Amino acid sequence: MNSPRFELTRIPLFKRVVTSRWVPWLFMALTLPIFLLAILTGLFGTPAGSRNFGIIFVWIVWWALVILVMVPFAGRLWCAICPIPAPGEWLQRRALIQPRAGGKLFTLGWKWSPRLNNIWLQNISFLAVALFSAVILTTPFVSALVLLAFAALALGVSLLFERRVFCRYLCPVGGFIGLYAQLAPVEVRVKDAALCRTHTDKTCYRGSDDGYGCPWMVFPAALDKNTYCGLCSECLKTCPLDNMGVFLRVPGKDLQTTKGRRLDEAYKAFIMLTCALAYSIVLLGPWAALKETAYAVGAPAWFVYAIIFLAANLAIVPGIFLACAWLTRKISLHKFSLRRTFTEYAYVLAPLGLAAWAAFSLSFVLINFSYAWQVLSDPFGWGWDLFGTANWTWTPYFAGLQSFLQIPILLAGLIAAIGMALRTAHTQGVPSRAALPIVAFCAAFTMVLLWLYV
Amino acid sequence: MKREWFALGIVALLVIVFPASLFGYQAWRTNSSDARVIDVIASSPENGGWSPDEIRVNVGEHVRLRIAAPDVVHGFEIPALDVRVDEILPGHVQEVEFVATRAGRFPFACTRWCSVNHWRMRGVIWVSDPAQPALPAPTFAPPLYQQLRIDIDAMHPAQNIPPRKPSAARGAQLNLRVDADFRTQSPDAVFAKLRADAAYDAYDDQQLWDAIAFAYFQNVGAENIANGARRYARDCAACHGERGDGQGPAGKDLPGLTTMHPDMPRGPANFTDASAMLGASDALLQGKILRGGMGTGMPEWGSLYTDADLWSVVAFLRTFTFDDPPAP
Ligand code: HEC
Ligand SMILES: [Cu+2]
Repeated sequence: MNSPRFELTRIPLFKRVVTSRWVPWLFMALTLPIFLLAILTGLFGTPAGSRNFGIIFVWIVWWALVILVMVPFAGRLWCAICPIPAPGEWLQRRALIQPRAGGKLFTLGWKWSPRLNNIWLQNISFLAVALFSAVILTTPFVSALVLLAFAALALGVSLLFERRVFCRYLCPVGGFIGLYAQLAPVEVRVKDAALCRTHTDKTCYRGSDDGYGCPWMVFPAALDKNTYCGLCSECLKTCPLDNMGVFLRVPGKDLQTTKGRRLDEAYKAFIMLTCALAYSIVLLGPWAALKETAYAVGAPAWFVYAIIFLAANLAIVPGIFLACAWLTRKISLHKFSLRRTFTEYAYVLAPLGLAAWAAFSLSFVLINFSYAWQVLSDPFGWGWDLFGTANWTWTPYFAGLQSFLQIPILLAGLIAAIGMALRTAHTQGVPSRAALPIVAFCAAFTMVLLWLYV
Repeated sequence: MKREWFALGIVALLVIVFPASLFGYQAWRTNSSDARVIDVIASSPENGGWSPDEIRVNVGEHVRLRIAAPDVVHGFEIPALDVRVDEILPGHVQEVEFVATRAGRFPFACTRWCSVNHWRMRGVIWVSDPAQPALPAPTFAPPLYQQLRIDIDAMHPAQNIPPRKPSAARGAQLNLRVDADFRTQSPDAVFAKLRADAAYDAYDDQQLWDAIAFAYFQNVGAENIANGARRYARDCAACHGERGDGQGPAGKDLPGLTTMHPDMPRGPANFTDASAMLGASDALLQGKILRGGMGTGMPEWGSLYTDADLWSVVAFLRTFTFDDPPAP
């Protein structure tokens, strides 16, 4: 438990930034107009995706930023910047900056059902987007409608429910950011747990004159995983004992323990892994007809594709893994139930999945990033040239470098997964060889991706 | 509280003023030019074709068309007004300006093979004269095939077939004068007349055919053949094939093929078929091109081509049956 960490909030400037009430507002005030522009260009701009700001900035620039930079290096940082919950949150607080002294939030304040206190809904919402992604990611109008729907849902939910229920339980992006944020080298944590025990006010959860109670419905004093911490920095402001800090830490620390592993989160790992594989096969594989089918939403062939896609996510890949878990259980002489073996080992797929997504994303981000300059000058595709970059030609960046980056990323993911699998066996107190079937699963997955990419 | 208002003000500015200024900029761009800006979207016919496909302008009006292609590369041409854009790349906006100087109905068309249905991608510009609201009645003579009462939908096999493909180069060496009106007479008819004439008894059949090929090309001239070749490559080859054999990719599944006369070979005409070509006068071929197949899949070109264009593409079609056309 006592792995080394470095407290970033000891740096005075850093501390000032994260405890400033202006900073979260500033981030959102910057991303909100960009988000708005993405919707407007989608609704009114050119239907040619590669020349539409909405498509390029959301699905290339934003995606690259999230999966390649923010999640691996800063976990849920995006959630602290994201404009989607901003209108709802501001309305709940009836304030953009100020804390509401002891004040009530402007919301019906319903409590989220304890039966839904899991990420199954996020698993479903992600799958729904993923299923139609071929269309959503290339058709500006559809893409804008989806963004608009997110924004409307977030606003509506914030009026009915307390705090950030949308982010925590519904947002399709939040689910996987949370899962992979456990790998990040950054965390918000209590500095000294003993001190918290003496503080009975729990202002970090209930809010105080200095800030709001955790919008993510997490109890900061007991925080031990990044999964549901949105890095909103409220607890840094509400702790009267100055006992919350931002730390640099060993990457993936949250996954060192098997405590509290859950089936819904395990399934998130399967869905992410399967989608990375499915996209790689559909979009990068040599089967043009498959790609066309994925685009032909509503056609008979598409329904077959949809069924296979959903089955792969929910049954086939987890099924194969279940077989591996069954073997593992045999080797470890039935120490734990099959369900527990399955669930605990499934977290091993987190580094594997993140690596797969990073590698997959590299394949189209580098190739298509140069479109960003064009749409910056001509966001709607209306023939503008605001910054003189509208006619910059499309150039793939670092084309030769791509596989040089992909191979080490995939291998690093595999190594981390193997390490975790062995560690899981260790924590369960069974011989290391029990992890072998799981290791084989991870290795096979990585081989398929390597074969697809190289 | 002051801080709140400031923050709110900034957000309001970003969320209201920023988008408003974007649309304002576009409106300003449209209104500030002295031209009337008309937005046109070019999509392949299966995605909707031209939108709008009817454009109304006035004589003397300064018009700027802002053409966007959302799907694939298209071209744009109003032949009668001499307006053209060779390439509209997907997602790009191409602008073209013109002033129509006469009233009338002027078809426009895509000039790139954007899909197998590309040839359906057409539209019309109506130019009206505010001083003279009624459109002038079109004043053109009926096309030659109508004057000659040629049934351009009938089969037209030749009676005489040359032993070898006629060659203008060989014909040139014969020093044989052939006086014939190729527009109204098929090469087959010209041959029959020569053969019946005792003055040509010294020449064998092949020599007469070679002489006819030479005379034909002399008559139409290298310039016309070159112009016809360009049009053919742009507008016809996708159906009739690069080599004129009727095997172009866009001619494979034409919806109209079923409505053709039962005796007619299916698919786009094969211009290397000596019998059909030698049996057709230029007037017949020109008539078919001008009027189109009326449901067979053969588009009409009379509204897009000038008379000279029509005749020059016919001249080029002859190079599939006559060798050695003159080089320009
Ligand atoms: C969309 C396909 C298509 C395109 C493009 C097309 N054609 Fe055709 N064409 C046909 C078909 C099909 C026929 C046969 C049916 C008919 O005669 O109507 C035909 C017939 C003809 C004939 C009649 C030949 C004969 O022996 O009666 C001529 C001449 C002809 N085309 C010339 C042209 C020229 C010149 C162009 C280009 C300017 C052109 N076609 C473009 C499909 C096409
Ligand atoms: Cu076209």
